[in-house]
Amino acid sequence: MSRAVQNVRGGRRIAIGLALCAALVMGAAWWAHHVGTYARLVRTEPHQILRDPDLLATAQHIGKPLYERHCASCHGAALQGDRRRGVPNLAAGAWLYGNNPVDVEYTIYYGIRSGHPKARNLTDMPALVRTGQITPQDARDAVEYLQRIAGKPNDDAAAVRGRSIYEDKGNCHDCHAHDARGVVDYGTPALTGPVYQYGGDRETLYQTILNGRHGECPAWVNRLSPLQIRALALFLVAATQHPNAQLKGRGP
Amino acid sequence: MTEDDAYFDLSKPSVRRSMILMASGALIGLVIAGYGLFTAKGTRSSGVPPEAVAMVNGRPILRSDFMTQTQAQFTLPFDQTTADQRRKTLEDMINEELMMQRGLEIDLPSYDPEVRNALVAGVELEVSADALAQQPMQQELQQYYDTHKDRYSSEGIMQLRDLVARAGVAGAGVAGPGVGPAGASPHAVALAAAAALRRGLALQAVITQYGLADSGRFMDAGHVDLGDIFQFAVRAKLDDALYNAALRLGDGEVSEPIDEHDGAHLIVMIRHQIPVAQSFEQAQNKVFADFKKEVQNKVLQANLQYLRGRADITLSNEFRP
Repeated sequence: MSRAVQNVRGGRRIAIGLALCAALVMGAAWWAHHVGTYARLVRTEPHQILRDPDLLATAQHIGKPLYERHCASCHGAALQGDRRRGVPNLAAGAWLYGNNPVDVEYTIYYGIRSGHPKARNLTDMPALVRTGQITPQDARDAVEYLQRIAGKPNDDAAAVRGRSIYEDKGNCHDCHAHDARGVVDYGTPALTGPVYQYGGDRETLYQTILNGRHGECPAWVNRLSPLQIRALALFLVAATQHPNAQLKGRGP
Repeated sequence: MTEDDAYFDLSKPSVRRSMILMASGALIGLVIAGYGLFTAKGTRSSGVPPEAVAMVNGRPILRSDFMTQTQAQFTLPFDQTTADQRRKTLEDMINEELMMQRGLEIDLPSYDPEVRNALVAGVELEVSADALAQQPMQQELQQYYDTHKDRYSSEGIMQLRDLVARAGVAGAGVAGPGVGPAGASPHAVALAAAAALRRGLALQAVITQYGLADSGRFMDAGHVDLGDIFQFAVRAKLDDALYNAALRLGDGEVSEPIDEHDGAHLIVMIRHQIPVAQSFEQAQNKVFADFKKEVQNKVLQANLQYLRGRADITLSNEFRP
């Protein structure tokens, strides 16, 4: 065999070897980057990620398609919610349990009244009329009071009576707060408008007091990975607020 | 052709190439198997996965749970909690996990009634959570009420006396108008007492005159209950014959004598508030509760059926069908 042929073969071997090595190194680098990013996103505190543009971008990149696939059917493509089903308008800031990313993450993990033992399930809207706590007329009066605090036209006498229903007989203030702005610890919505979970018209408010409400959100704990849940939570928080804005909410 | 030539010519067999490819395949397989073995859920033997803040005997304490518990414990947003506070929460969670694991280790649920009850209640709640979460429509409630109308009525109330004429006491040595002969049977004495009451003689006078005694079935703290008694309570305290007799009586009426082993009984009804059927509107609170309870029971029964279907239950001979 001539020397020239041997050189060609030798060169070919080296090229194949180098290509294999390069592929191996690239694969290892991709894997390390993937694992590293995963670890960083999950280990870093959510508040810090909100202040880190690179990590936040990664989270949003992962979270957005997850939202579109799993959440948008209820929460809407633009996070606008759905009043018919009592899905809160996140885009308008109607975060029942606060928009602290830790709280949002917890809600995604275990859901709301999802049946999971860790689900948010401290309270729900009781059927005040149906259970006999207040009368239908009391409920109508309470509706007038809610119209008043929302700055809408109302029946003055009924609104006065409704205030005592809100603060006394109906115990509404226990969950919705004296100023009716809701309490994130309980997941109770603000009743001051203009954003309402189920609707702020008289009949919808009356139906809410009559029959109660029992909104739900599924638990994603065993359906999405911790990374995906973290990314989804950050996507939601970042999509509805300025990253450096004051965060509301605390506690389970 | 040399071995070197065959090595790169895939159309020719090469022992060296085969050995190298086989070894590479085995190595890759081992790497993948090893990775799977040491990173699969529950099999991680060292290190803490990113989603956990600690591993306690191989069980993770999730970062999300940790952050939420820290917030709840110190009522502060997580980013405002101090390192010491976080450490405290973590130690508490580790302690709790250890105690829980120890509980399972010593098989606490198998003998501690409180743990068993908590487990049963927890499982029942989880199983029926969906059913409880659903709000029934008004139409469903109305339909339920229509089907079970007999359940919805106001509670009946009775104010009554259960008096008894006993053998050897009744009538003996008692004198007066309408009293039977000395040594008369309890039935005869009770009959005479009933007649006297219907004539308008005062109850206490009849009791004294005819030697009647209270049966003692409506005792309350050592005294005869002379006040209002719910109808269901009357039913629980009287046997069928006496209760049915009481049920037919209106205000101020007296039953016929009812012979029982301890003598002849007379039921004197002082006041009887008969149960009144409730409309759907009046009963909707109870209809709602009953409806929910029935739905929950159905789900629980279905779950038990499923659990029994997959369980291995062997009965001792005397319980075998």
